[in-house]
Amino acid sequence: MSPPPASDMNSTTASNDKLKSSAFRVGLGDVTPNNLGQLKRLNTVLFPVTYTVSFYKDVLEVGEFAKIIYFNDICVGGVCCRKEQTPGSTSSQDLYIATLGVLAPYRRLGLGSKLLDHILEHAQLPPTTGPKISKVYLHVQKHNKEALDFYEKRGFKAVEEFPNYYPQLEETGALKLEKVLLGDD
Amino acid sequence: MKELPQKEGNLFKQLLKCYENKQYKKGLKGAEQILKKFPEHGETLALKGLFYNHLDKKEEAYDFVKKGLRHDLKSHICWHVFGLLYRSDKNYEEALKCYSQALKIDKENLQIMRDYSLLQIHTRNYDAFAETRLQLLEMRPQNRQFWIGLAIAYHMMGKPDLGVKILSVYEETLKDIPSKPDYEHSEMVLYHNSLIEETGDIQGALDHLDSIEQHVCDMKAVRERRAHYLLALDRKEEAEASYRTLLSHNPDNFAYFSGLHKSMGLGDSTEDQAKLLDVFKNLQETYPRSNAAKRLPLRYATGEAFVKIADEYLRNMLRKGVPSLFVNIKTLYADKEKEQAIENLALGYLAALDKSKGFDNSGATVEPPTAVLWTLYFLAQHFDYQRKTGQALEYINRAIQHTPTLVELHMTKGRILKHGGDLVGAKDAVNEARELDLQDRFINSKCTKYMLRADNMAEAEKTVVLFARADLADPLNDLVEMQGMWFSLECGESHLRQGQIGKALKRFHQVEKHFNDFTEDQFDFHMYCLRKMTLRAYISLLKLEDQLRSHPYFVRAAQNAVQCYVSMFDKPDGADSAEMEGMTEAEKKKFRNKQRKAELKAQKEAEEKKALVAQEITKKGGKVDEDPEGLKYLKTEDPLGEALKFLKPLQELAADRIETHLMGFEVYIRKNKLLLALKALLKSHKLDADNATLHEQLVRFALAVQKQQESIKPAVKSVIDQHWSSLYGSFKQSDLAGFTAAFLNKQNKGAVNGKEEEGSVPRLISAAIAVSLIDPAKNKAKAEEILFLMAQDDSKYAKTRSLENCLLARKTLKSLRSDRVQEFTAKAAVWFPKATAFQS
Repeated sequence: MSPPPASDMNSTTASNDKLKSSAFRVGLGDVTPNNLGQLKRLNTVLFPVTYTVSFYKDVLEVGEFAKIIYFNDICVGGVCCRKEQTPGSTSSQDLYIATLGVLAPYRRLGLGSKLLDHILEHAQLPPTTGPKISKVYLHVQKHNKEALDFYEKRGFKAVEEFPNYYPQLEETGALKLEKVLLGDD
Repeated sequence: MKELPQKEGNLFKQLLKCYENKQYKKGLKGAEQILKKFPEHGETLALKGLFYNHLDKKEEAYDFVKKGLRHDLKSHICWHVFGLLYRSDKNYEEALKCYSQALKIDKENLQIMRDYSLLQIHTRNYDAFAETRLQLLEMRPQNRQFWIGLAIAYHMMGKPDLGVKILSVYEETLKDIPSKPDYEHSEMVLYHNSLIEETGDIQGALDHLDSIEQHVCDMKAVRERRAHYLLALDRKEEAEASYRTLLSHNPDNFAYFSGLHKSMGLGDSTEDQAKLLDVFKNLQETYPRSNAAKRLPLRYATGEAFVKIADEYLRNMLRKGVPSLFVNIKTLYADKEKEQAIENLALGYLAALDKSKGFDNSGATVEPPTAVLWTLYFLAQHFDYQRKTGQALEYINRAIQHTPTLVELHMTKGRILKHGGDLVGAKDAVNEARELDLQDRFINSKCTKYMLRADNMAEAEKTVVLFARADLADPLNDLVEMQGMWFSLECGESHLRQGQIGKALKRFHQVEKHFNDFTEDQFDFHMYCLRKMTLRAYISLLKLEDQLRSHPYFVRAAQNAVQCYVSMFDKPDGADSAEMEGMTEAEKKKFRNKQRKAELKAQKEAEEKKALVAQEITKKGGKVDEDPEGLKYLKTEDPLGEALKFLKPLQELAADRIETHLMGFEVYIRKNKLLLALKALLKSHKLDADNATLHEQLVRFALAVQKQQESIKPAVKSVIDQHWSSLYGSFKQSDLAGFTAAFLNKQNKGAVNGKEEEGSVPRLISAAIAVSLIDPAKNKAKAEEILFLMAQDDSKYAKTRSLENCLLARKTLKSLRSDRVQEFTAKAAVWFPKATAFQS
């Protein structure tokens, strides 16, 4: 399996902070076979890794765990996750965030948060199929400070380091971040 | 009439019922029952034929109807049946004859007379139509339809005053006019009103409008008419009030604004302009959601005022992100000053957005990140419009880098590349756009078109059927069934470029057939509209049908088809494809042989494949195309005659387009019809004496006359002489070289349309061709020299040195078998760095 890349949250433009939120519309949308091209296009420019056909086939199957986000009706960001069996447990699953990113000009407008909030919210809902989700995790390039801050602010903790996670990239090291979800029981 | 005994007589009456109720099988059985006893009963035989006709047995139908008629020539039923049969085959001329026979026998047969009148209006035989309608009315004066039918007849004959009289008389006989508005009555009186307007009696129309208002349902029509009449009567204040009321109902209707503008009597003076802009300002406040109120001032404002208004307008639209902004704005570019002002504004926005995220550097507002995106998009389209391909690409690439997911950007990139001459790159860009949104039918169709422009037929077919219904046996043919003419035209033009004349003609004939169908489709409305009283719509339908073939799609199909047939006449061995430009005849022959061999091989393979496909289609219940190559059209004995069939409607309906007459010349000169060719030249000359192609044709005509000097009939010669000076001025037939020199000189001086210093590439091409025709042996170098003028003086020729014209110039060089083709190509490659045609 190809290594999942870090979420790309770096390089922000500070003046976006001044933009009033009334000046634009934001909305989440489903990933469908018809707009899959837009998600592919996003991931191609956002991440240094090329994803396989089977990756996108799975994306179409995960329902609320793959979304794209619209800014003034233009697709500018997206998130793709997959569910995995928690190692050593049959009663719970882990949710892995494979990609989460927003096009550079549209950062610092709360779009990344909106995507992540959506994922976390749905991860905590009682699952329609399979066991419940106990943990959300992802990998981030080690020196991507913006991204690390972003996730840590939202309750993620670094749990493991992989010095050679991205062998084909210049910076090969990655951190695994995870957030344990509190079950109702 | 041959009487049947009572039993069979009753049965016969039942047959007529069967026909009316469309019980054709039952009718056929009944007819056979009668014929068992009376095998020679003409009317029954005829009816049997009619039943056969509806059961799709054409041959039997004609046999029996004719047989019936032979046995009973004096029966109006037999003639009527014969007429119906012809009518169902759209042979209106014969049908009319049959009806008139039937009416000679039975003068007062209402049914036949009605059918007769339908054919008359359908074939636009207005005088005869009016006559029949008058008879009908005389027979049944209590019937409303007959009164109105007669009024329409007079109207279409160009006698609206008689129509008005008929309707007035009829309305006087009406005892109880419905007190509540009644749709049918309402339509009738509105029609009456429009007829009065056509007589030119505007005051009368206004008075009548006041008198009918209480009976009308369509109040909008009343208000619009009143405002229009008041304006025409120069009652400005009342007109203004009326238009203001209309605007309160629809503040986005451009016509209402224009009416208001006219009724305020504001002209072009600076003072009036300021007043007008004030009016718009007030309207914008009253109707803040009206786009028209904001857009229209751009049309009227000039100078400083324009810049101010445009600034506000553009900022709003760019902030909102309106993709159609440029399309909406570019109509203003007719005014160069406005074009420049808009360019300055947009470039200013971009600089400011890059620096401080606002449209200006005041720091007052921060625009959303999409503002820079839409500004880049706008600028890309702006420079593409000016055919500055390099700049346009720069902006569109920046936009794509900014937001690569926006479909419009890739589509526009495609358009820019297309204009730059890179058809394959264009297709790829538009395909990228398509892949971003697979459910967008518009982009799918656009992509198909770009694939066809790049002559990639297989890819195009695969793409376009993505939106065909899944259950169809032959989805590609569905586009023809649905009258998708853009597809037929693009396919045909692609085949033509590739020298596949048969396939191309097949497509152009498809378009022609669609137009024939449109004409046929009106038939049912002749009866329906009178019954349902949709009179105003009916009249506009009739007028539309009369103009139908002036539609750009038909004109395009016809022009292409004429080109195909002319090339078939010129090259009976097959057309030249683009690759064959500039080969000698021997080389061409060799090339063709090689091609033919390859084709035969490909054909064999294709046929095997096709057989499989055909099997599949038949299995699904579809119809297999028996002649996919269009061989039927290639086999014609008289290609020029076929060309004329396409040309005729254009000569009637597109007579104001010079292309019509230029094409007409091409056909007539080949048919050696000198007088008709002369007529075409005179028409072209009248439309645009400076037209480039016309000069070439004039020289060809003169040469043709010269060559046939001896054999031209004196009468023909005298007509030519009579018109000579209006076409050729003072130049004699012996001095064509002088004629062309003068033409070239005139264009070199830039005297065309009074524009100094502006050369015209099309005129260079025309002059080069003319020179080479006048003395093919000697003038090659001279022709080359003329063509290369366009490379000498950039400022003079840059404007008309378009991609199309350069391709044409090179084609001309190739056909001269010039040695300077490569030299020209190298120059053109500098002018059009993206154009694949000029890359070695």
